[in-house]
Amino acid sequence: MSDEPDLQPESDALKRAEENVRQLVLELAAVNEELDSFSYAVSHDLRAPLRAVDGFARILVEDHAAQLDDEGRRLLSVIQREALRTDQLISGLLIFSRLGRQKMVLEPIDMHALVQSVFDGLAARSPERKLHLDLRPLPPAMGDLAMIRQVWWNLIDNAIKFTQGRDPGEIEIGTQTGEGGELIYYIKDNGEGFDMRLAGKIFTIFQRFHGEGQFPGIAGLGLGLALVRRIVHRHGGRTWAESEVDHGATFFFTLP
Amino acid sequence: MNHTPQILLVEDNPNDAELTIRALKKNNFSQALTHVKDGQEALDFLFGVGAYAERDIKEQPKVVLLDLKLPKVHGIEVLRQIRANPDTKLLPVVVLTSSREDSDLVNAYNLGVNSYIVKPVDYEKFTEAVTQLGIYWTLLNEIPLEK
Repeated sequence: MSDEPDLQPESDALKRAEENVRQLVLELAAVNEELDSFSYAVSHDLRAPLRAVDGFARILVEDHAAQLDDEGRRLLSVIQREALRTDQLISGLLIFSRLGRQKMVLEPIDMHALVQSVFDGLAARSPERKLHLDLRPLPPAMGDLAMIRQVWWNLIDNAIKFTQGRDPGEIEIGTQTGEGGELIYYIKDNGEGFDMRLAGKIFTIFQRFHGEGQFPGIAGLGLGLALVRRIVHRHGGRTWAESEVDHGATFFFTLP
Repeated sequence: MNHTPQILLVEDNPNDAELTIRALKKNNFSQALTHVKDGQEALDFLFGVGAYAERDIKEQPKVVLLDLKLPKVHGIEVLRQIRANPDTKLLPVVVLTSSREDSDLVNAYNLGVNSYIVKPVDYEKFTEAVTQLGIYWTLLNEIPLEK
């Protein structure tokens, strides 16, 4: 005659809700897995026809050059260039898809040393640029070392690209404390920045903010920041960005 | 008379096959090439059965260029059967595929593949890769006479 009759349905409802959540998590995992294997299969099956497009265009040039005028050759070179660019997009898609399936190995990371070494490596690739890094002390973190290195690599690579034309290119990297004592990493540059109306899209795959050929390489495909977001999400963190056109950009992320 | 090819190309995609043969032809490797279009035909050729019952299987190619995603019998299964058969177990097999999938690489190496090449999309790089394969496996590499 106690509370029991009331408690029973309540705990039943709780159990049902828990079961629902468990079911949803399973479904979500299955859908994610399907998406990853789908993009993987698409990426591979698209390569064979691309190889044919590039190869046969090349053969036309090699074997029938005499019958082609300059305009004919130019048109063929457009076909070849676009085939190879599509291949690069597919490579990007593959890297992105692999990143979702790869197992994470969490370990303590010396963030300060990691950032310094990534910056040194990237700066050495652009000896003609005058770059200044203001690296504030970074506490150690927990994460997958290879993935976190990729995060810094893409963010610093972006900062170096976006500060093209600045002398020197200034890059500041440090941490802030957010609400509830959350540690927030940031990287700030004095580059050309971006329109804040685009801030929501900037981490989306293949979303580019600069004209073709302006920043060649994989980041020029709109992949760099999408990879950053995917890695940070897999670690349970968040990413966002702030900027003003011509007044630099700041990218933020958290790692719980 | 020796009709045994130096290279057995196992490739179902006609475009890839044409590009491969063209690259080899440029370097005069193509007379010595036989092209089969699925995994079953590759096994029939190597083991001298079916349409190839007349073939002397003591004469084997110097190298098999093997695609993985093949009709009828998958490339990995072709490799497994080559390694399981005493007559062909030492035959050099080079996987030539679009797949860089880890599981394909691990399976192929576990089955004793001699080399694993991912086909480049860029035709110049593709030609270069196939040319090097031709030179290496038919001219430079030595294989045991006794099996």
